[in-house]
Amino acid sequence: MTEISKLAELRKLMQSMERTLGLEELSPVERDIYYAAEELSKDSREVRTYGLIEHTLVQSVSRPTFFRALKSLVQKGYLSQSGNANRGRYVVNDPR
Amino acid sequence: MRSWASDTFYASLAYIGASFLTFWVLMPMQNVFFPEYPSRASLLFLPHGVRVLAAWLLGWRAILAMLPGVFLVFATLGGSDVFLTSRLLAIFIAVTTAPAVFYLLKWLGWDLFPAADRAPCWACIMAVGVITSILVSGLTNLAFGSATAEYFAFLIGDLSGLLFLMFGLFFAFRYFEHKG
Repeated sequence: MTEISKLAELRKLMQSMERTLGLEELSPVERDIYYAAEELSKDSREVRTYGLIEHTLVQSVSRPTFFRALKSLVQKGYLSQSGNANRGRYVVNDPR
Repeated sequence: MRSWASDTFYASLAYIGASFLTFWVLMPMQNVFFPEYPSRASLLFLPHGVRVLAAWLLGWRAILAMLPGVFLVFATLGGSDVFLTSRLLAIFIAVTTAPAVFYLLKWLGWDLFPAADRAPCWACIMAVGVITSILVSGLTNLAFGSATAEYFAFLIGDLSGLLFLMFGLFFAFRYFEHKG
């Protein structure tokens, strides 16, 4: 195992700890969007942006804040853009 | 070869750093805040965390990687007594127990070593920390012939040490991620 992969393994270990203990760095808006996405993904594999925006948990969030939080969730690995050519579709990733 | 050298350097350095913090920073504070506590054992023994995490990351290579650091710490604390049979036995126990527990669990079908295709389980590492601590404190106290009360002091110190070390790493990663 290389030095980098040892660090990566340690980081993965810390991530498992922060998720179990609820210490992950999700803002309240990010958390609401993630919960909404999780709920919507129960019906279909992918979640659409407009479906998320209309969800009751997210309705009061302004558009710029919503899209910033969405981008951040993708960067943190909680959501990933669907491989589908159609943008605005996301797949919910389970916290590991 | 280069990888062996760097593993040994970092693992031993981590053990020495954790021991320095434990014996020269935390234990003097412990003596100030708990003067009535009679045991010489640390209630926050960070080196236990280093040996458990090193064993998890390096497997049996952790034995050789930790050896220089553990020997230096024992030599610093005990002087020439480090060559007494009981001390050499304690060094042997300190470096071999954690890897042995990981391999024993793997042999029993519970493989906790890092793998690309699965997420690590920190609670399982803590469980290994508990098993290792019970074994290390039991065996070390046998080697030193310490009182029974010391067993519990070692156990508390080891577990809090592992937990605090993991929290320390967690905040260190978070700090460097924000900085970078």
